[in-house]
Amino acid sequence: MKTADKTVVQNTGMCCFGHGANIAAFDVKDGRVVRVRPAHYDKRYKNKEDLNYWTISDGRGHTLEPGMKSLIPPFAFSAKTTTYSKNRIPYPLIREDFDPNGERHPENRGKSKYRRISWDDALDIVASEINRITEKYGRMSMLVQADGHGETKAIHGPHGCMCKMLDLTGGYTLQARQPDSWEGWYWGAKHVWGHDPVGQNVQQFNIIEDIMQNGDTLLLWGCDFETTPWGWGGCMPSLISFKLSECGIKQIAVAPDCNYAAVVHADKWIPVLPNTDSALQLAIAYVWITEDLYDKEYIATHADGFDWFVYHVMGKDDGIVKTPEWAEKWTGIPAYTIKAFARHWATHNTSIAHCNGGSYIRAAFSHEPARLEVYLLGMQAVGHPGRNQFKFLEWSIFGKLSCCPLPIGSYMPLANACYNGNILGELPPSFIPKTMIPAAIRGEHLHWYGQVTCTKPRIDQFDPYEYPAPGEDYQIHMVWSDSPCWTTCWNGGNELEDALRLPSMEFVLIQHPWFENDCLFADILLPACTKLELTDFNTDPMNGQFPVIVYEKQAVEASTDSKSDWEIVCEICKHLEKFGGVYENLYERYTDGKDMSMEAQVKRGYEGCGLTDEQYDWDNFEKYGFELVPTYRSYEKLPAGMYNFYKDPVKYPLDTPTGKLEYYSVPIATTWPDDRERQPTAHWVEKGAGHDDRLNSERAKKFPYLIVSNHPKWRVHANMDDNPWFREIDTCKVIGEDGYAYEPVWINPIDAEREGIKDGDIVGLFNERGTVLGGARITERIMPGVVSQDHGTHVDPIKMGVGGIDRGGANNLIAPSAITSKNAAGEVTSGYLVGMKKVDIKALEEEYGAEVDFHRDHYTSECGMCVEDVIVEE
Amino acid sequence: MKAFLFDASICNGCYGCQIACKDEHCEQAWEGYTAAQPMTGQFWGKITEREMGKTPFVHVNYKFEACGNCDDCKLLELAEDGAVYRRDDGIIIIDPVKAKGQEQLRGVCDKVFWNDAEQVAQKCTGCAHLLDDGWDVPRCVDWCPTGALQFGEESELDLEGAVPAEPGSHLYYKNLPGRRICGTVADREINEVIIGAKVTITDAEGNEVAVIDTDDFGDFMFKDAAEGEFDVKIEADGYQPMDYHVSTVENDAVIGQVIVTK
Repeated sequence: MKTADKTVVQNTGMCCFGHGANIAAFDVKDGRVVRVRPAHYDKRYKNKEDLNYWTISDGRGHTLEPGMKSLIPPFAFSAKTTTYSKNRIPYPLIREDFDPNGERHPENRGKSKYRRISWDDALDIVASEINRITEKYGRMSMLVQADGHGETKAIHGPHGCMCKMLDLTGGYTLQARQPDSWEGWYWGAKHVWGHDPVGQNVQQFNIIEDIMQNGDTLLLWGCDFETTPWGWGGCMPSLISFKLSECGIKQIAVAPDCNYAAVVHADKWIPVLPNTDSALQLAIAYVWITEDLYDKEYIATHADGFDWFVYHVMGKDDGIVKTPEWAEKWTGIPAYTIKAFARHWATHNTSIAHCNGGSYIRAAFSHEPARLEVYLLGMQAVGHPGRNQFKFLEWSIFGKLSCCPLPIGSYMPLANACYNGNILGELPPSFIPKTMIPAAIRGEHLHWYGQVTCTKPRIDQFDPYEYPAPGEDYQIHMVWSDSPCWTTCWNGGNELEDALRLPSMEFVLIQHPWFENDCLFADILLPACTKLELTDFNTDPMNGQFPVIVYEKQAVEASTDSKSDWEIVCEICKHLEKFGGVYENLYERYTDGKDMSMEAQVKRGYEGCGLTDEQYDWDNFEKYGFELVPTYRSYEKLPAGMYNFYKDPVKYPLDTPTGKLEYYSVPIATTWPDDRERQPTAHWVEKGAGHDDRLNSERAKKFPYLIVSNHPKWRVHANMDDNPWFREIDTCKVIGEDGYAYEPVWINPIDAEREGIKDGDIVGLFNERGTVLGGARITERIMPGVVSQDHGTHVDPIKMGVGGIDRGGANNLIAPSAITSKNAAGEVTSGYLVGMKKVDIKALEEEYGAEVDFHRDHYTSECGMCVEDVIVEE
Repeated sequence: MKAFLFDASICNGCYGCQIACKDEHCEQAWEGYTAAQPMTGQFWGKITEREMGKTPFVHVNYKFEACGNCDDCKLLELAEDGAVYRRDDGIIIIDPVKAKGQEQLRGVCDKVFWNDAEQVAQKCTGCAHLLDDGWDVPRCVDWCPTGALQFGEESELDLEGAVPAEPGSHLYYKNLPGRRICGTVADREINEVIIGAKVTITDAEGNEVAVIDTDDFGDFMFKDAAEGEFDVKIEADGYQPMDYHVSTVENDAVIGQVIVTK
């Protein structure tokens, strides 16, 4: 029997800025994708020698090797389910009460339904609006949100294909995506040890083998490598961790939740209250200082300003000696465990592993735990064999080979040569930090420091910026988004829901494959294709096995009346040409007069991906659809982690002003002498101007729990929330008494009993900013006093805006709108106070049922929201 | 005879096996082998997960479950007209056409599902349609990134220490976790853990099953307890001994904080 007609190979990673991952094989039969499966490398490479196949060893008989198939996570299945999702935007849509030539009814965004419009009519409106807004208000009032989440495409975007077009015709204001994955590292750790651009160790060569050979203990600090790497790199972390256990490395998880990695891999879990890691770290330092358990010689030669840190630990500045007993009150960790932990760490070769997200690095003042971690690493001679910091993901980030802790490829293939999107971090003169968008739309005059995007070096943080430009008074009147992700994934989304409904917001244009997230607030929705419906070029340098180059051939015809994000912009160029002037001949200028056929673009991508003339092998690339980059022959000679700095800090200095680990930052001291939240030396910050979220705060009387919000297990941010095979897994959704699939809320049995909540109940998490609903999961995996709900689920408002109620459970809506700290424009989306109560859904329906449909015809618990429910027939 | 082997010690709980099965069979019929599986609700290859223990001694046991093509399969007994048959490779197939309407196959075994729309019993086929098309392994095994799930000739699998999922099943389990008895010994007066305290675990018959010293976190953990009742004695020099009676019948026995006094 025929089980497939053809097979294509595509990436399935969700990095979405042309930086691919998770190569999968897609079998197609009768015009449909029938099968998603790992790509088998031996289909093309019969001889492992051709790949310089690597094996690393602890020298005692335990070995780790890459294997010969891609180690993809279940997210790859979603390439199929989301392509056939019932929530695909089927054709261009216009909000039914939006009349560009009459009443626009901005107040009804998020509430009104949509009707079908032809591509031609939709693009005409878009072109006219661009032209009108430009003439009336100037281009700086056009906000482009060219970032966020989505499928990884290169030729087709998805992000920022419009930027070049707008650049050619007068400019625009760009939403600058601050380093949401790395907040604390970026705003904090960089000031201690450099490691631009995001402040996590970028010298990770051979760290895994080093730990196998020399390590004793690995700390998984706020780190869940059984969830977060799934969107960006696959399952190699599982193999590494199993191997480290086999090698006898003790793995200790430190987090408020016993996360998906910890329940499988950790030998010990130390529960710590959200955003109190700083107190734990200070107490560890106290034990080391008072018991003489740190490397003084190393500090003398490798560190600067260490005395300032000792001064704070011993309470000379604030009168508080940072003893384990002091830390117990904040962290919830018994003082005896803190002492034992400190001594264990100091007497074993200990490394720290990270993923991203969670309360450790995304809470208020997140620069403090990040800086303190580096301080502690320094006290134990970071770079010494067996003592490093590494990451379980982003092994090729920013094009740095040294971000991979496994044997590296001989070069890093990248898709830049055919990438039509906006390169993350390349900013036009006018930009606004993403955390400040609601305030910007409200017309507030904004001031902040730094260009804030994740590619900028440490010194960028000291430059002041503002919007609108000095002396100007323009404000935002139009938003253009592609694969948007504000409400579900940023800070205080209820404020954005309010801002998008202001009369000053004249036009909201969104391109996306699915009706989710900010799409609910669009005036015009343009449907984008999914990857499987397109031909593209991409690379996967993230998997940790071998870097891959991929000829992503179209698998199936588009199942909706959609175009790719790049094709949409090409069409808009053509529709703008009729206005003449700056728009004259725009399509030709946008495409540089090049051959833009798919084959020509893929070929440009291949030729420019980094391979040498000798490696050029188009015919086989075309035939097999993928090519692996062999392992770098001399990888074993590369120094493990920060070994060079450890051996010789003068010859191999850090990228800090002194070249050393800076326990006192002079640039911070001189730039912000009055900043009490981010002082020159990291310290314990109980509260600040925008954040008062400790369990001893007055606010905690009304909102007595701290929330942990991690990267979701069964989504990448808001995407894939429609996957029926995920949603029937217990950890994905909780079906409420009303049949609605709620986002799980983890509650410790002690708290559940206090609140009278049973497993499966519908609950509300709330604070001054609003309420989000969820489904109770009573579990020992969360410590008492803390609730956990993953971020990113579909926004589904019962009542919009500040003080609103969201049924979907998108808890970012009620996250603080204040930035990380006074002069650090990061987001705070975990580790803040919430109240919790059991919810009577029938009572809510009685109250709001007249305005909101609680029983939509096409909603199913299997897939969730369905776009058909918002489309009115002509 | 083909068999499955699941090694619980290297399962990362990704559910890839469960979903790969759905990817192959949901809304996709394979003529001669099986009717299509409904989009949701059936689990021919299933991961079960059970949370064990108590904060802060928590772990999750993941286990793969599927039809093991048992020696005494009831489907073979109950089916009429040869609607259920065993292939030469040992895989039992429910013929989707012949078995239509054979209600007696409904609910025979928890690995067999009833398809209301098609009026037919269905279950794991071992992806026989793919094996016949040249595949070495079914979808679930092809997917598994860690090697926890294997498939092959029973004689060629490393079954040392493995046990069948149930008597007569050709799905084997290896390294299934035992119950845990654990805690942390500390002195609250001085806020110090007790390292090297002696923990003696005795079963209901009075047999000493483990003697453990607490580690540098003051922790003790016995990982291989059977399901039963145990006495746990904790002795540390200079402290009053502590005695506990615990049960591992329902769950791990997490004694938690053991605060000793002089």
